[in-house]
Amino acid sequence: MTWKRYQNELIALAAFVLMFIGYGYKAVQVSSQADTMASTKHSVGKIKEVIALKKIWADKKTTKNVEKLQTLIPVSKVQWSSKSKKVTASYKGLSAKELNKLVTKILNLPVEIQKLKIQKIASSYDVEFKCKW
Amino acid sequence: MNFTGNNKELILAHTSMKPVDLSYTVNVMLTPQFYTLKKEVLPLNYAYQAKRIAPSLFEGLVEEGRDHDYIVWKEGDEWVFLAYDMEMITAFLARKGFVLENVSKIFFAQQAVDLFDKPLVLGENEALVSLDDMIVVVPRGALMEEGPFLVFDNSFTPKKGVGLQDAYGSVLSMKQASTLAVIFTLFSLMFFVEGSRYSNNVQVGEAQMQELLEDYPSLQSKYTRDNIITKYKTIDTAERKKREIVKMVSDMIFKGVTLTSFDIDEKSYKVQFSCKDAQVANRVKALAKKNNLSTTAIAGSNDLKIEGAL
Repeated sequence: MTWKRYQNELIALAAFVLMFIGYGYKAVQVSSQADTMASTKHSVGKIKEVIALKKIWADKKTTKNVEKLQTLIPVSKVQWSSKSKKVTASYKGLSAKELNKLVTKILNLPVEIQKLKIQKIASSYDVEFKCKW
Repeated sequence: MNFTGNNKELILAHTSMKPVDLSYTVNVMLTPQFYTLKKEVLPLNYAYQAKRIAPSLFEGLVEEGRDHDYIVWKEGDEWVFLAYDMEMITAFLARKGFVLENVSKIFFAQQAVDLFDKPLVLGENEALVSLDDMIVVVPRGALMEEGPFLVFDNSFTPKKGVGLQDAYGSVLSMKQASTLAVIFTLFSLMFFVEGSRYSNNVQVGEAQMQELLEDYPSLQSKYTRDNIITKYKTIDTAERKKREIVKMVSDMIFKGVTLTSFDIDEKSYKVQFSCKDAQVANRVKALAKKNNLSTTAIAGSNDLKIEGAL
């Protein structure tokens, strides 16, 4: 029987094949892990991005914060119109200080600015502001 | 079931035997014509210790310049040492018609000494007898009486034998093959364990994502997530741009510069500055250029206009 003649070589070969299969298994797992980890990392990144974006642009406190724009300036200078999640406001005769205060506040609000118009009239400023969220 | 191969036919090989013609696997028992025996009482506990000193015990007893192998076992208080020349044995077996691949194991008559309570006839002129617990070949004429004689059969097969694999031309010896097999197997085990650990790491990553999704169940669907990202990302980019423009414009206001008008909507922006003199106007222009904004001078004045699309 020829196989008996090469019994020793066959034993070593079988063990070598087993080692090769083990190496293949490890290589597949490493590659699969890299792919899955990359995919998982990407998904986790996306989820975190969604959460962060929602936290900014779908903040439930935004309505309350926008309302503060009405009281930030003396009422006599403000014309306020609010409907659902939209605000149209008009400010007349603002001092430079009031203008800065108002603009800074607007910029820090997570709203979509549809219109922001500043016009210098003599030494004061008129502002038109329209936003939604 | 006998997995040791001891259920195979046992053939007694001796110098005067007739050639054989076998096509099946057999075991072979060798007479003292093929080995040298020595018994010693030694303070040893283990066979491997005895085997280690075996070559020194046979110095001068076996032919020098030839390779000898040794087999050792304990009989009562004595260690039995047996030296044999495998090359010589295989050459003899081949001469007698044995196909070496068909020889499973080699045994030595001394291993079955207990069974030799009567002589065993070897051909016409010789016999195998046990003298002082040692198997020896004697001339048949030296036997005191003619019979009864032992009948040689498979019951003489001892438990431990010598494999012939190394003797018929293998590139690797059994020892080398075993060593390689152990090394390769260890490596394969290592690879399997490592592979399995990588597989576990993947599960950990997936668990982390599952945890996040449990906290935000509305984000389970990738479609939903993509829609939300598309919606808010567009808003985020546009609004950041608007705020950036406002910040750039405010940075361009300094002593001598007055903001005359500013208008920004969802698509474009328009800014007008009134500058005290040409020097201030130039500085505003430089600042605008630095911010990649294009300025237009208003004819007949130092005023500047900046326009652009979002």
